[in-house]
Amino acid sequence: MSVLLIDRPLTPLRTRIVRSRIDWLLALSALLLGLIGALLVWSATRSSLASDGGNPQSYLFRHLANLVLATLVWAGAAQLPVRLMRFAGPVLYVVSMLGLIAVLLVGTTVNGAHSWIELPGFDVQPAEFAKVGLITGLAVLFSGRSDRPRTPAVLIALGLAAFPLGLIMLQPDLGSALVVCAALLGVLIAADVQARWMIGLVLAAIVGAIVAVKVGVLADYQLERFEAFTQPGRDIQGAAYNVHQAQIAIANGGLTGAGLFQGPQTRGEFVPEQQTDFIFSVAGEELGFLGAALIIGLFGVLLVRALRIARDADRIGRLVAAGVVSWFGFQIFENIGMNLGIMPVTGLPLPFVSYGGSSMLAGGLALGLLQAIHASNVGRTGG
Amino acid sequence: MAEGLTSLRGAGRSGRITVLRVLIVSLLVTLVFRLYYVQVLDTDKPTQSALDRYTASIVVPAMRGEVLDSTGKVLIGNRVTQMITVDRSAVVAQKDGGTAVLSALGALLGRAPDVLLHEITPCGAENPAPCWTGQPYQPVPVEADADAATVLAISERTEQFPGVAITAQSVRDYPNGSLAAQEMGYVAAVGADDVKANPKLDDADTIGASGLEQQYDASLRGTNGSQDVVLDPRGDVTAYGPLTPAAAGSTLVTSIDSGVQKLAESALAKQLAASRAKGFAAPSGSVVVMNPQTGRVIALASYPTFDLSVFSGGISNADYASLISPAANDPLLSRAVAGQYAPGSTWKLVSGSSDVMNGLVPLDGTAACPGSLNVGGITKTNFDSVAYAGALTLQKALAVSCDTWFYKFAMQEYAADQARIDDGEKPNEYLQSMAKAFGFASIPGIDLPQGEQAAGSIAGRESRQTNWDANKDQYCADAAGGYADEPDPARRRYLTTLAAENCTDGWRYRMPDNADLSIGQGETTVSPLQLAIAYSALVNGGTLWSPTIGWAEIAADGSVQKTIDPVARGKVPVSQEVLDYIANSLHFQGGHEVSGAIAFDGSPIKTMIGGKTGTAEVYGKQDTSWFASWAPADTPTSAKFVVVGMVEQAGTGSSAAAPMVRAIYEGIYGVGQDPVLAGSVPATTLPVIIPTAVPSTSPSTAPTDAPQTPAPQTTPDATAPTAAAPSTSRRRRRRRVRP
Repeated sequence: MSVLLIDRPLTPLRTRIVRSRIDWLLALSALLLGLIGALLVWSATRSSLASDGGNPQSYLFRHLANLVLATLVWAGAAQLPVRLMRFAGPVLYVVSMLGLIAVLLVGTTVNGAHSWIELPGFDVQPAEFAKVGLITGLAVLFSGRSDRPRTPAVLIALGLAAFPLGLIMLQPDLGSALVVCAALLGVLIAADVQARWMIGLVLAAIVGAIVAVKVGVLADYQLERFEAFTQPGRDIQGAAYNVHQAQIAIANGGLTGAGLFQGPQTRGEFVPEQQTDFIFSVAGEELGFLGAALIIGLFGVLLVRALRIARDADRIGRLVAAGVVSWFGFQIFENIGMNLGIMPVTGLPLPFVSYGGSSMLAGGLALGLLQAIHASNVGRTGG
Repeated sequence: MAEGLTSLRGAGRSGRITVLRVLIVSLLVTLVFRLYYVQVLDTDKPTQSALDRYTASIVVPAMRGEVLDSTGKVLIGNRVTQMITVDRSAVVAQKDGGTAVLSALGALLGRAPDVLLHEITPCGAENPAPCWTGQPYQPVPVEADADAATVLAISERTEQFPGVAITAQSVRDYPNGSLAAQEMGYVAAVGADDVKANPKLDDADTIGASGLEQQYDASLRGTNGSQDVVLDPRGDVTAYGPLTPAAAGSTLVTSIDSGVQKLAESALAKQLAASRAKGFAAPSGSVVVMNPQTGRVIALASYPTFDLSVFSGGISNADYASLISPAANDPLLSRAVAGQYAPGSTWKLVSGSSDVMNGLVPLDGTAACPGSLNVGGITKTNFDSVAYAGALTLQKALAVSCDTWFYKFAMQEYAADQARIDDGEKPNEYLQSMAKAFGFASIPGIDLPQGEQAAGSIAGRESRQTNWDANKDQYCADAAGGYADEPDPARRRYLTTLAAENCTDGWRYRMPDNADLSIGQGETTVSPLQLAIAYSALVNGGTLWSPTIGWAEIAADGSVQKTIDPVARGKVPVSQEVLDYIANSLHFQGGHEVSGAIAFDGSPIKTMIGGKTGTAEVYGKQDTSWFASWAPADTPTSAKFVVVGMVEQAGTGSSAAAPMVRAIYEGIYGVGQDPVLAGSVPATTLPVIIPTAVPSTSPSTAPTDAPQTPAPQTTPDATAPTAAAPSTSRRRRRRRVRP
């Protein structure tokens, strides 16, 4: 420690980068993704807005406003002292669960999912915040013990996850439910839960999925989407229309793309929900492989930085960070994967890039917590 | 040990994080590889599954055939109008939301920009009328017939008018305005019913909705062509596919002579004015001119009339409302073909023929002509109760139009029929059979839509019974009710008495009914055309025509596709001797007096004319004035023209209808003027139609100054569709009207 103190004046540049209290790479990669998203959202919506007689920039402005709000949320969450995480976690969990209950009572239905609460001026999608709530709740649960979680803790964790999972499936929102599972898995891995538990849970999930299909828990449209995925080229005017149109857009983008605002599929409004779940198809068509790969690369930077924070963090911080990484990682893979035809279609936004206030703010909140953990890491190792 | 444990734990923790890192990185790498494969490596890229989703077929409208008169002059032509359309999506995509474009366009068209915006926005709860009822992607017509200055202003500054386009379209043109309007008819936009009846119709087409336009629609309309186009996903045309040229409709040559038609219409209008000046109501009238030898119609005039131009390119609601308003007195109705009026003494052609042919009176027989006669308990008088001394021949009875002469035979016939009925035999009803044999009480079968032809009516025992069975409840209710709503006490008494009679005895065909029938009164009604057909039979040897207006259908190359000939429905059951006798009796050549001849006093053509006046009484109205005539009357079958004139509520036949018809004959024969008809005879050969080139198949060779050509102008529609929209049809903006 003393060595570091002595070294400090001699290597100011390196010290500032390594020991900065703000993880600039993490924050800037997210900001850049948000800005790229703004252009893509603009491109996806301007012609339909114009032909409806609206302001062609209205989605652009709202996306940018969401980005500003998310930055403020990030800055606020980043101030949270990590030692208070123990108290903040349960509060976030309970509040977000109340949000999920509220949406079932007073929510509105969009595209067949009962997932939104209409507030004056904007809609809230509580499932997005439930992801943060569950991760912090689980982290607090497992942070009490310093050794491997025992069976009771794992069972409590499963219970904590089952509650939002059930509420989300009632909406129904299969995509968010899968993200919850992914986040749970990530926290359990980071919490050093025994391998037999992990294997058991994965097997149980597979059996559960098969039973769900057989018993008919999934809605018809969800099954159709799954069939559309397993049998490509089938029903491209129906269940597979959306993804088929997105794939046309991406495939014809080539190496460098058609140019921003120049994609025929995007301009022709062939891809429904393009500004949200299929925003990646705009990137593929108009920015080409280089632009689309840049987006994946930025996510890579973001996730690797987050894992670095997890590695350096104390137990609770590591669990939160691992949960967030698993959430983002799965959601990114699922979203881009369905655009590329290697994952079935579920309604999930691409973090920071897709249009959507709740997703953006929940992402900002999660990154804010990571920043708080990072600041704590720097404080511990640096002080 | 503690330190070792910590390091072990640390390794375990970072090991788990490493698991996550490997997992995450491999997922992202998977995405990048997949992306690279999909975008760069894959050679079999998905495309829009069916290219034909982006091809459209644009209708190339066929030029509608023209309608010509018997000398080749245009009665209905075609005209190219410049239609201004606005592509709403292009306009609102402007930086200012289209404010500048709409303001500039509004200033040109004299309309407020916000009104224009409403007009081009699809109808909906937020956008009530005026609004666009068509497809959202279709350019909206905002001006159907733009003037040259507006078109120039837009086409010179296209950059200031993004989304605004000018499209040429062909619409009907009526160079003569109201000439023969009811017979020409008009076109309307094709509706759902029309497409149901004929699936080949395109909803961009127009269809004949009345008159000749409807009757000859199939040949006038032609066959639409089509232009295949390839569209990009935005709906813009990127390439033109095969063109199937439109086949223009046939030209319809009619036997109408526009000179005689104009003459008839102006004589009618003048007579109405003159009758009104004498204190008559004279609300309407009609003239029929036909060739009795061929059955071809030369002129059909009807008043009131209307200007066909209001229908050009679609009639506006306001124009249509004024046409059907009660004040307009139904100008769309052809009085000549669809009007039904009591014929009065012109009917004595029928009763005289019947009386002689059925043996009630020999051709040289006589009867008295008292001023009045008791007919079945009712005293019926001659016109003005005039009596003629001595015994009158049929010739004299016709010439002076003695009603009581004809009553006598109607009474005899009635009594004989009643006796036959009492004996259990069928009545002869000679008058009714003769009337039907002359074409009355059935539609004339002219080449106009059936619904536009009146059959008229005659009373008889069977029709009485049928009517009474259908209406007796109403008669009895009216009699009991006493017409409390009728303000005039005299009319109330009359109606109530009539209803009470009809209630109990309405089924009876009485002797006075038969007497009324013998002089063209009572329930007897005819159309002027039916009367012209009957008088044609009188002077053509007895042939009863289903007359025609159409003469020939001429193909685009000038060849005659089809000649339209009148059909002889039969021969009237009257011997030539009797026909000649009647014709001679009504001849103005002198030697004998004929009522109506007085109207021709002083005219050099008086001796060429034969004719019968009629003065029909209509309860509650002034008399209907008739004159049924023919010329030249040198011999009984030499007539080239039958002219029937009718003026409603205008007094006696010789005071209104006959002077009007005199003016027409003087025009035809050139009294104090050049004859309106070359040689003063009806046209007998078809006009020469110079072949017209269909632009898309061969270059135009037709001289531009040939007045007798159908002269189909080349419209941009017909040759090069501008394809402003991927629509397969273009809807008319104005309301279609189908009365």
